[in-house]
Amino acid sequence: MNAHTAIKPPAFMHSDYGPALQPHVSETIESMVSVPLTEFFPNFAPAITSGYPETLEADLERVRAETRKSLALVDMSSIAATDSVNILASEHGFGLMGGWPYAEMIKTIREVVIERTGCTKIHLRLAIYRGFKEAEEVAEHFGFNEAFEGRVKGLGPFDQGVEVETVVGPMYLIKRAFDATKFIHAYYDDPREMYFNRLLYKSFKSFCMSYARYETRSVYHSMFGNRSGSVIPRALFDSDFIQQRYTFSSVLCTTPMGVIGVDATTDLYAIDRRITKSHLETYGRMQRLFAEIKDCVAIWDGGRWGYYLHGGGLIFGTLLTNHSDAFDLDQPVVAGFMQSPTAPVNFSRNKNLRGVVVNQAWVGAGIPYVTMPFTTPMYIVGEEQAQMWREDPTNPLLMDRATVVDSLHQGVAMACEKGQTDKLIVFDGSYGHLTCNQALADLLKARAPAVDKMVGEELLPKWLAQRGLS
Amino acid sequence: MATIKLVADYNADPCTGCKLCDIVCPSGAIKMEARKPVIDEALCIGCGRCVDRCPEDIMWMIQRSEPLVTTVHPDEVDQEAVTALLEKAGIEAAMSVCVCTLTPGSEIAASIIKGAKNLEEVCAATGMRSGCGIYCVAPALRLLEAAGCDMTPPGQHRWYPSTLSLYDLSDEVCAKYPDAYIEEDRAVFDPEHKYGPLSKEIL
Ligand code: SF4
Ligand code: SF4
Repeated sequence: MNAHTAIKPPAFMHSDYGPALQPHVSETIESMVSVPLTEFFPNFAPAITSGYPETLEADLERVRAETRKSLALVDMSSIAATDSVNILASEHGFGLMGGWPYAEMIKTIREVVIERTGCTKIHLRLAIYRGFKEAEEVAEHFGFNEAFEGRVKGLGPFDQGVEVETVVGPMYLIKRAFDATKFIHAYYDDPREMYFNRLLYKSFKSFCMSYARYETRSVYHSMFGNRSGSVIPRALFDSDFIQQRYTFSSVLCTTPMGVIGVDATTDLYAIDRRITKSHLETYGRMQRLFAEIKDCVAIWDGGRWGYYLHGGGLIFGTLLTNHSDAFDLDQPVVAGFMQSPTAPVNFSRNKNLRGVVVNQAWVGAGIPYVTMPFTTPMYIVGEEQAQMWREDPTNPLLMDRATVVDSLHQGVAMACEKGQTDKLIVFDGSYGHLTCNQALADLLKARAPAVDKMVGEELLPKWLAQRGLS
Repeated sequence: MATIKLVADYNADPCTGCKLCDIVCPSGAIKMEARKPVIDEALCIGCGRCVDRCPEDIMWMIQRSEPLVTTVHPDEVDQEAVTALLEKAGIEAAMSVCVCTLTPGSEIAASIIKGAKNLEEVCAATGMRSGCGIYCVAPALRLLEAAGCDMTPPGQHRWYPSTLSLYDLSDEVCAKYPDAYIEEDRAVFDPEHKYGPLSKEIL
């Protein structure tokens, strides 16, 4: 196998929720390599973005062009010049390749809507996860305050709600998301929690998560299985409240290679079908490739919560929950808070994951789950970062179990020795390639052809048929 | 059970009395007196939400001298009542209702049987919602509703009464979303067909 120099991951936003920026694994450990995903799956189509600072302007130029091309075909007749319109954005889009492609799509939507409709009262509503200061950080970092002439507000699960009548009964959305006469669903299709959403109407998920109060999020996650939960976002989207305000959707489309384009139309169900098919073909292959890893140590090295950091286009959570085929809808539970009383799944444990070294990641999201440090050895690099984790109220027991190490090298050496593995995988926000060490690169390259064949011939036809997409 | 190592503290001088810390507190630990928050350490479950919310950045978390252990053991209360409440709500005893603290359904039910009458009291008794504060809420509210507690939402959007479960969906909904695996999931999560829609009858 060819040697590949490790690539520095996309630059990310500094946050109060994370440590001071640390040198990346790719800069610190010389033996790491970055393997282009096309070496695993030669049929993966190239992305339109690289995600790297050196080519950022060219990347964003292509995102702008793709957004304009897609929006040119959208019926915007539901927006009158006198309307006010909220563009609804969700926080995980800002974790994709440093967040700039998603930010660019959002800014371009505003420009095009003004040009096409004459409507100028266009506001950005930034849905964030938990931290009340995240939205301000995002607005500042991506220049949204200037781009939207100050019409930017954050919203989160603890903000004031609005009761919405749906076919399943009342649900609670966040009032501020819908404080304009109309809204645009400005989304990204990162499959992220594929083991939860199972790629079953995933494009609707924001309606019961980002745009919803915590009670509705809890109903979706805790009161349904991860297949039947797909009723909740659809019931909200189909409600009169939403349909009276909805104008169109614009979705930043990705594969593990990176951004591949923008899909925009009024018909979110049509977008969902296209995205689901593309994801099963591409992310499905990467997910099954990760399932070939029988022993490894993972390194968190990015500017998001560790659980949601990407490597090879898939988040760490995918590796953690790779117990079974998430896309096979005959499997009742892959992960989920609601568990079968006869066959519970511990979704915070993957026995093949022998350790986690935290070079840098955000705190404050209840992530990793409380049991993870009890079952998977964790190593925190540096006393300063360790102190941050000690003060994280959402992980009160983590530092009882985690080991503080002086350096990344020391953490990796200890984790590999304790875990009896020589394989390292890095979650640093990368798309288009996987940063790992040579031992893991060799294993994955050897296994990829069989995975490709299995997905193409057996799994993909089943996955598509289960979703009526054959 | 949750082991709470931190407790909220603040600097009263620059406090504007905006009350936002009080509104987001999940356990009712903050009371406003003379337009200043008073934090009841015995009720603080260390979630840090008030610190994050305070617009003046004048709140912080400090280590407790001794960790506060919040727990209600099912043995402390009538076990049959706990089982009956869980069955009525359709919540499995072993389900980790709060995935941040691993508080099981049985402990939430026990806290209600022991006397918790609202979400705040359940949180203070069990430590649930001391992590992300999000995903455990609906099952806890459903148990409160099943026990006949007052579900009128408190003011200032502290919580809204959402208790929908897989077992409540009508035939109309099942027909509208035929590809949602509703019947299949009901069979997986309730193989003994113990659960159904929540009845209004009070235990
Ligand atoms: S329970 Fe949470 S919000 Fe309430 S006082 Fe304690 S840390 Fe603050
Ligand atoms: S949120 Fe801050 S400023 Fe507002 S009442 Fe609480 S401590 Fe005072």
